[in-house]
Amino acid sequence: MKKITSLLLVFMLLIGMLAGCAKTETETPDAPAETPVVSEPAVEPAVEDEPVTLRIYAQYSDDDTKVPYDYAVEQLAIDYPNVTLELDIQAQDDGQKLQTYAATGNLPDIFQVGLSQIETFKESGNIMILDDAAKSTGFLDRAHPSAENIIYNEDGHIYAFPYAGNELVLWYYNKALFEEYDVKVPETYEELLTAIEVFNANDIVPMSIFAKEKWITTAMYDVFATRFDPAGITKLDTGESKASEEAFTKAAETLNELVNAGMFADGATNTNYDQAAALFYEGKAAMFLNGQWEIAGSAEKLGENADWMWYPVMPGYEDNKYALSGGGAPGGYAVNPNSEHKELAAEVAAYLSEKYCEAKYMYRGNPILAVKVDESIKPETPFPTMMQKLDTEMGNITSTTKFAWGLSNPLFKVAIEDQSQFLMTKDYTPVEFVEELDKVIERMNQ
Amino acid sequence: MKKLSFSQIFFRIFLWGYAFISLYPLVWMLLYSFKNNEEIFVSNPFGFPKTLRFENYINAWSQYDVPVYFLNSVIVASATVVITIVLAMMFAYATSRMKWRGRNFARTFVALGMFIPVQAVLIPVTRVVQDLGLSGSHWALIVPYTAFNLAFATLVFYGFFVGLPVELEEAACIDGANIFQTFFFVIVPTVKPAIATLGIFTFLNAWNEFILANVLVLDKSLKTLPLGILFFQGQFTTDWGAMGATMVIASLPTVLVYTLFSNQVEKAVTIGGAVKG
Amino acid sequence: MKKFYGNKLAIAVFTLPALSLFSIMVFYPIIQVFYKSFFKWNGLSAGTFIGIDNYLRLFDDKLFYLSNKNGFIFAAVITVFQISVATILALAVSSVKLRGRNVFRIVYFIPVVLSVTVVSQLWLSIYNADTGLLNKFFELIGSSYRQNWLSDRDKAIFAIAVVNAWQWMGYQFALILAGIKSIPTSYYEAAQIDGASPVQAHMKITMPLLAETYKFCLLISVTGGIKAFTEMFIMTSGGPGNSSYTLTYMMYSSAFRSGEFGYGLAAATILVLECLIAILVFNRVFKTENTSEGA
Repeated sequence: MKKITSLLLVFMLLIGMLAGCAKTETETPDAPAETPVVSEPAVEPAVEDEPVTLRIYAQYSDDDTKVPYDYAVEQLAIDYPNVTLELDIQAQDDGQKLQTYAATGNLPDIFQVGLSQIETFKESGNIMILDDAAKSTGFLDRAHPSAENIIYNEDGHIYAFPYAGNELVLWYYNKALFEEYDVKVPETYEELLTAIEVFNANDIVPMSIFAKEKWITTAMYDVFATRFDPAGITKLDTGESKASEEAFTKAAETLNELVNAGMFADGATNTNYDQAAALFYEGKAAMFLNGQWEIAGSAEKLGENADWMWYPVMPGYEDNKYALSGGGAPGGYAVNPNSEHKELAAEVAAYLSEKYCEAKYMYRGNPILAVKVDESIKPETPFPTMMQKLDTEMGNITSTTKFAWGLSNPLFKVAIEDQSQFLMTKDYTPVEFVEELDKVIERMNQ
Repeated sequence: MKKLSFSQIFFRIFLWGYAFISLYPLVWMLLYSFKNNEEIFVSNPFGFPKTLRFENYINAWSQYDVPVYFLNSVIVASATVVITIVLAMMFAYATSRMKWRGRNFARTFVALGMFIPVQAVLIPVTRVVQDLGLSGSHWALIVPYTAFNLAFATLVFYGFFVGLPVELEEAACIDGANIFQTFFFVIVPTVKPAIATLGIFTFLNAWNEFILANVLVLDKSLKTLPLGILFFQGQFTTDWGAMGATMVIASLPTVLVYTLFSNQVEKAVTIGGAVKG
Repeated sequence: MKKFYGNKLAIAVFTLPALSLFSIMVFYPIIQVFYKSFFKWNGLSAGTFIGIDNYLRLFDDKLFYLSNKNGFIFAAVITVFQISVATILALAVSSVKLRGRNVFRIVYFIPVVLSVTVVSQLWLSIYNADTGLLNKFFELIGSSYRQNWLSDRDKAIFAIAVVNAWQWMGYQFALILAGIKSIPTSYYEAAQIDGASPVQAHMKITMPLLAETYKFCLLISVTGGIKAFTEMFIMTSGGPGNSSYTLTYMMYSSAFRSGEFGYGLAAATILVLECLIAILVFNRVFKTENTSEGA
């Protein structure tokens, strides 16, 4: 019995301790949670010197997101010494966290958004219109004329300050491998089939793709859709076209043929970015599909052997050679309209976006940006050849489409993501693909 | 020493084999945490790392305040265990042995908690946490964790209580004990194995929980260990080695504590009755 | 004794804390889920009431049936694996004759201690079509049975189910072991005197006494299978395509990817109902078994 009593005593003690520490804990941290109620006397920039902490929800997980963020924060400390940022890192959860924040009134002062979130948030008053701030901060004056499509929403308002530029889907290849096996860099579908055959015979993966991610499979399908119709999947996104139309059916059939011809590695749909990139970097894969931001990585790993090509053309559709997949959509740093310091937050959001562009220009070898970078700023290392090539060829591009995250209809986005990934497996038929997409498009048009 | 029959030998091999595949992930995780992406995915997914990349740990350690996260995890998980077990045990006792109308309904009612996916109730749960004024303290996690673990815990305790012989309470009753005394001094000690098992289960559930912690903790000083992976998992690329290090930092202490604690529990528990095979 | 078991104050003291916490923190949100499943709602705006439209659409959605089928496959795989393996291992470890049983007891539980993320990453490597252990193994024994384990629309769900079955076996193992330990030794001594072999003793004593534990194990496997999510989220994102969707994944995808919260919550409601049916069926089945045994 003694044992039990002592056990019980310990138990009680534990509960007591918890109750005890509970009180001390709830009292102090509760205070910051309540502060929003105590409103500031004035929200004018006049009180600038008062220290302000802004909560910010941003990506911060790799060089492409950490470098610009750290640079921006560093600069912010100089220009806005009174502002401190409290970073809340974006989770890879399809916006679940941000949505929950919005639904429960916990939205940070500044947050990163994509187009579909802008649409949902503006309906429910969770995103601030930044038209005035864009003018007063001079953001618009410094913006690239070519970036208009990523600054203005379709309704003519600005909801977010973009921190990148228009981006494209590029078809990369390893020059050395093409030379080694004496393969012509494919300009046509026939040549592509030949290349696939030769590389497969030599145990080289023709094209490396991280098809575990559904946005790249969407891009892959879109690449072939642009072969038949320059507008690509954007026509399906708006509900203007159906998947059963010739261009989209043919695109599905073409991709299916290539999958069965062995263009991708076994288990591609389960390959992540790091695996796929490693294959390409190690010379185990001849081609690679990714956004233009891949230029820096590929150039670093493969040097002059890395290059990009125009997508191969389909017989009879030679006009579409210079149609590219990808392109920009509104998105970037947005501001919570219910923020206590919303004016200041808007100012800081614009500032951060500009600093991101500077950092990308200086450290990430990326000159295609939303904002013109000051001439005094020079890139840390000269731009890779591939980037110079893109810069000079820019004028030849006849049209662009959208990345998966730039699609406007979330129903279509989910459908094309799932279905395009499915199409990357050998036993999925183009008929099933078209049928499933049309069902969704029909629903969208209701 | 008796000779083992062929089937017994086969059985031993099975037991050791299964032990090996249960232990393997631990070894794999440790090796993984010293590699870089290239080794993990291409050249060396299963072998010993070519060079021990301690920088993964340094990287993990420098990104977030490991001791603070760790302490928060300890506080949240321990409190969840204690409260869950006390509440669940009392509730299970009342529904399994006491006689009242609606007890079966009450039992199934609480079991509902096991069925609902957290993602579906994320928003309402966050609202309740705010409305109760729990945000900004450890209670923002302890209270929902306890509530969600109740279903499981009450069902386990129910299973244990329902099988106990009535004589236990009868004897106590004759000795003049009231129901509270009987419960705490007679009934609770008989289910020590269940308490130990559930303590471990609940602790692990709370320790590894990510989805609720991700949205309920706004304050940096209150974050728990599973949130550490956010620093390495990007939209396009992930620093898998540093993530491995983060996972080792989060899991290794629990493995150690479990291994040590488990033997203590075992000693305390087996006094009651060991099985003679 | 009746007064003892019917002590109203005690019932209140014992049940009210758990009941009130549960009602506020879990049941109220569940009601919200149920209520909002009758709305066209994006999760933020007020939403419009559309009656049972979401449910009608659900019953017309191929994906809903696929998700259910996957849930049942998942549940079946993990139930069979976990309960059988856990029983064998628990009985073995509970035997005093087994050397090293303390080691086994700890080791068999290790996968549970690790987080799902670690375990899923490990199995992703094992299943990898090119460098994975599984295909390497088939290569080694000279078999051509190489598979794209996770990229095959029919096999993916089984491959994922195995991961869950393997990781959480330790749960059931620990529960059954704790159950065996709660059985007074005297029962076995009596059986031994009667000349029963260990296996017979277990069949006669352990199994019937653990009926409640088994009912519970069955319940966690089956409901765990129906509401499976994390493994597919990490390992396949429901893919390839949508071939490894489960009801929870469908709910997640509808709510957060396509912004159709109401529709997602309708799927969640069906999920809760299915689990509820499972528990009621188990209660019924195990009750009749108990009484027939008593007779």
